[in-house]
Amino acid sequence: MRFSHSLLSCLLVSVAQAASAWSFEDATLAVQSKGAGVGAGTKEKLSPSSPLSKLVSLGGSDTLKVLLTATEDQKAKRPHQAFLTLSDPTTGVEESFVFMVKDNGKGKVELTHKDLPIQFLTASKPIPASIVIGSFGSSQPYKNQVFELTIARDPNVPLAAPEKAERYAAAEEIHHIFKADPKSPPKIITLVFSGAVVAALPILLGVWATLGANANHLGKALGKAPMSHALFFGSIAAMEGIFFMYYTSWNLFQTLPAAALVGVVAFLSGSRALSEVQQRRLDGLR
Amino acid sequence: MLWLFSFLLLALLGAVQALSSSGSRLLVVLEELSEKDKYSQFLGDLEARGFHVRVESPKSEGVALFKHGERAYDHVLLLPGKSKGLGPALSPGNILEFMKKEGNILVTLSPDHATPTSIVSTLLELGIHLPADRNSLVIDHFNYDSASAPENHDVLLVPYPAPLRYDVRNYFMGPPDGVIAVPRAVGQTLGNDSPLLAPILRAPKTAYSYNPKDEADAVEDPFATGEQLNLVSALQAHNSARLVVLGSAEMLQNKWFGAKAELAGKPVTTANRDFVMKVSGWTFKEVGVLKVGNLQHYLDEGDVKKVINTSAFAAPEDNPTIYRIKSDVTFNVEISEWRGDHYGPFMIPQRDALQLEFSMLSPFHRIGLYPEARTHNSTIYSAHFKTPDQHGIFNFRVNYRRPFLTNVDEKRQVTVRHFAHDEWPRSFQISGAWPWISGIWVTVAGWLAFLAVWLYSAPTDKKVAVKKTQ
Repeated sequence: MRFSHSLLSCLLVSVAQAASAWSFEDATLAVQSKGAGVGAGTKEKLSPSSPLSKLVSLGGSDTLKVLLTATEDQKAKRPHQAFLTLSDPTTGVEESFVFMVKDNGKGKVELTHKDLPIQFLTASKPIPASIVIGSFGSSQPYKNQVFELTIARDPNVPLAAPEKAERYAAAEEIHHIFKADPKSPPKIITLVFSGAVVAALPILLGVWATLGANANHLGKALGKAPMSHALFFGSIAAMEGIFFMYYTSWNLFQTLPAAALVGVVAFLSGSRALSEVQQRRLDGLR
Repeated sequence: MLWLFSFLLLALLGAVQALSSSGSRLLVVLEELSEKDKYSQFLGDLEARGFHVRVESPKSEGVALFKHGERAYDHVLLLPGKSKGLGPALSPGNILEFMKKEGNILVTLSPDHATPTSIVSTLLELGIHLPADRNSLVIDHFNYDSASAPENHDVLLVPYPAPLRYDVRNYFMGPPDGVIAVPRAVGQTLGNDSPLLAPILRAPKTAYSYNPKDEADAVEDPFATGEQLNLVSALQAHNSARLVVLGSAEMLQNKWFGAKAELAGKPVTTANRDFVMKVSGWTFKEVGVLKVGNLQHYLDEGDVKKVINTSAFAAPEDNPTIYRIKSDVTFNVEISEWRGDHYGPFMIPQRDALQLEFSMLSPFHRIGLYPEARTHNSTIYSAHFKTPDQHGIFNFRVNYRRPFLTNVDEKRQVTVRHFAHDEWPRSFQISGAWPWISGIWVTVAGWLAFLAVWLYSAPTDKKVAVKKTQ
């Protein structure tokens, strides 16, 4: 008993659903260019059950026109809602265009680039277009994809894209550097050239040696003026030492007194030492 | 005696603490006090959550939002009424002033009662647009309750909302099969310019708004269609005051709490009680409330490294006021999220980023802050970076604004100085300078050698021989 009852109700529901459902018929889609004569441009028939296999292309000066007759149970009737809905699957933007439907169920909608939001005009993929027909009462509403729209845009015509509205979200990372740090050349090159510079010293000394440079009179000089020569040569070496200290650790106020002291010593001892050198020259020993 | 009394009072106050982070005084504005019974379950739920609910008629004296220049309530719930105006206490100016003082407002709309002009104009100022026809409502021929609205299709049955964006946490999430009844809703559209606005619940794709008083048989120029229509929308001001517009006041009524409905032939139970709890909870700052605790930055160079201060909020900030260019700096910020009765660690949503800006006029660095430690009631986010190669007055800035979370905007100003004369790298540290340095010391050594030869060289035969050949 219960089984038959539920079966009955099931049947009733399915009958009711089958009995009243919204759909459309005699639907045509036309794309007309501005200036082209009547009948020019593409014209396609739309079917409520399967989407159009061809892509519909809408150019900058074209008008897309969809005509249909809304039906309830195969009878032409005016629905409360008859929309052509475009939705971009990548951005999620959706826009519905309302069919102007007359009392006899005949409806019309026209589209040009001007009606479309910017997201559709810049969409890279075809935009699915569906027809939505529905009304009050228990009749089943209709919604199906009927065709796919591609926007053909003249790339030379700049698009007036509105400025992107601010939304609170994480922003791009920034790592700004005004001027990169100076870079040194590869160490191997530096070492080769430093080596060449350092090698110049032994080469210089070697060349002097072959020319007969020597320090044979050192004993003679120290014998004649030991203090002066030791102090003079020592003070000049010390001056170089002061430069070294200044380079590594001393500041100017430590350097200057030391340099002054060593300079006075060099001046005083130098006059004596150089007199001795002059004496040797006069003796013909140089 | 007096101290005992005050102690007792304190203990009492502590016992009835609300779940809201910003106070428990809730004003419910309802014109017909007899209608209170219709909302008894919702108001009871609010009281159970610790709110001190006071129901007042818009004409009564208790509806004054301010007392002695301060807010008299922490939150306001506006329920629709018959009269066209809301009275002087709820003028647009007062409503905005209330929000300026960080009060939260939940506005409910109904197509049966024309929305008062003061509300419409306030919402318009905020970028929330209502249909021009005061009686417009949202219908959908696909997702309606066929049990209660088989003819008019004006009781929408919609699933719980999906997250607003992939990087935003969904505070209004529910079970995937949960269904919310939205009876006779006034749809809203949101202005595109304001980042303060966010939709909470959108209408289904096939829904549209129309005026039932309109004589036309077919809708010709709908106010808005599909997901552009919002059933519930939110605004969070710069001071984090919240305003939520609930398109359907009936959603709050007892009869839609767990009501039996029918969606496309299938019986469903509406989850309105849970959903309106989430919406009111967000509006009245029970969720999505952030707090910044200790904020630290220090030089992170050499062996002296500071340990992250894991103490609670009260720890003093030990932050230098001056840094040098190109030095390593560590920045820590402690962020907590309100958890009903205490602050707990805040974790940023999975694909979101908490960012630190180091800026002089414009940011020179904008880098991610990553969780490095966690205390009982906060997460410590850290960033390590090198100060820019430009001196000036800089700001450490954490500006974390996201939909549905209170705003975090913290700034600390520091000076960044250039190198002192003795802070530059020494020439021997620069490998490119080695040939020049060795040149100098080779010259020094050569000079000393030349001096020795000049002073002490004895004449040799060779020299004589050379002279002779000349």
